[in-house]
Amino acid sequence: MYTPFERDEAFGYRKDSVESRLREGSPVVGVSTQEGIYLLTVCRGQRKIYEIYDRQMFSAIGMQGDIEEVRVSTIQMAHQEGFERSPDDVTLQRLIGFALSRRLKQAFGDLWSSAPFVIRALFAELGRTPAQDSFYALNYDGEFRASNGVAVVAGTALAEDKMLERFGESSPALSREEALKRALSAWVAGAQEAFRAGSRSEEVREAEESEEADRIFLYDELKTGHIEVGFLERNTQRESRFRLLTPADIAFLRA
Amino acid sequence: MELTGDLWGLLETSGHPLTQPRMATPRPADSPAGAGFIDTHGTTVITVKYNQGVVNVGDRRATASFSVMYDKAEKVLPLDDYTLLAISGSFAKAMEVVRFLRTSFKLYERVYLQPMSLDGKLAELAKVIRAGIPEVLQGIGGFIPILSTFDRELDEGRIFFYDGMGARFESADYGAAGSGSMQIRGIFDYIAKTKKPFHEMTREEALLEALYLLDIAADLDAATGGWHKVLPLAKTISANGIEDVSEEELRELVERIDKSIGERKLPRSRA
Repeated sequence: MYTPFERDEAFGYRKDSVESRLREGSPVVGVSTQEGIYLLTVCRGQRKIYEIYDRQMFSAIGMQGDIEEVRVSTIQMAHQEGFERSPDDVTLQRLIGFALSRRLKQAFGDLWSSAPFVIRALFAELGRTPAQDSFYALNYDGEFRASNGVAVVAGTALAEDKMLERFGESSPALSREEALKRALSAWVAGAQEAFRAGSRSEEVREAEESEEADRIFLYDELKTGHIEVGFLERNTQRESRFRLLTPADIAFLRA
Repeated sequence: MELTGDLWGLLETSGHPLTQPRMATPRPADSPAGAGFIDTHGTTVITVKYNQGVVNVGDRRATASFSVMYDKAEKVLPLDDYTLLAISGSFAKAMEVVRFLRTSFKLYERVYLQPMSLDGKLAELAKVIRAGIPEVLQGIGGFIPILSTFDRELDEGRIFFYDGMGARFESADYGAAGSGSMQIRGIFDYIAKTKKPFHEMTREEALLEALYLLDIAADLDAATGGWHKVLPLAKTISANGIEDVSEEELRELVERIDKSIGERKLPRSRA
């Protein structure tokens, strides 16, 4: 058995170990507009944005095995619920609040027999109107946070703050171009902050910020990676609302 | 929880009745099938090819024994962007199967990040039909589907039909199911031999022939609905995916058929 003090200490170690492995993760930005919802990230090889259900998609940073486990079990729950009741009953609030969050908390809190999930995930849900769109950011310890308009996940809390600050005010009236340009800019802000968090002090990092530095950073990242954008379309006749935008769709981001 | 993209497996684990039909108390051997309880049935659906894909038409009636339960039933239902299921027989079962297949295809694609193959989809449908046999033997829940799709690899429409055991057959030109289908079976052949095969017809020609066939089925089968109260339902599948035939177009075709039949002078019956 642990004494209460040892228990806290053990949680602390777990937290540090997970956080250090999340730091290098490529951030994800979500934006809700009149046309639909976008999730944007930069991937290095492995695909990062996935469809969950008719109106839900997801992306995450962390260990691939853990991301895969959260992804597939969420898809399973959603489809079983959608079949046994109705697709209308499949909501992120239920999937995350009543199933996923508890499972992650259990794995994190069980010091004896399970390793914690190394994951920070961003889920998006498309409503009938932009006001009904929602984002859920889910943490490795089961804590989650709902938001509207714009949402981010990144390797550190400071990186997430910088991303939101860089993105600025969100509005449903944003065009696809404007929304994605701002999302990519927010990604750059978050990635620079998180990737360099261990190596320089905050003051030095801030002093290094400039548009030119952004451009060089993105240029370097895109040498080995590519921009990925998942889209949930609000008004469509097709069976599936989700699709990954093609390189041609987002060519304007590289210009 | 095991991670899988197989909805059937998940439902089996949770004991869903679709995968494990519950048996009622056996009826005495001398009672007629289904005595005392009659489930609602869909009546006639027709599927024919045309030169760009497949046409599906169906009347809108659902009956339970001699009662019309519903006259706006939809019996041609999309399973995905390129696949339609035309259903006849037990309405409850067929609707559940359609929901199952839609969810099953989506689950598979979302988990494995690739669509289920056409063969995989056909096998999935056979599996559900076979699992329902215990219910069918009790006199309820039997249904016969026709699956039609646009095969994007071969660039042509394809039609598959099933028997009650889940055996699958591919039809080169046409298919029909439901209470009125036996009465019109030979007419397909007659049209194909005397005019031209359905897969050589234009969309309009195929649609018109299918509607004539539906009209004859309504004449010869007591359960199949005519179109004077509610228009039939028609959908096509082509390289563009599934499209509804608009109400205006259907009304125009149906009026043309009515007019052509009315113009023919039938010999007056001797009183």
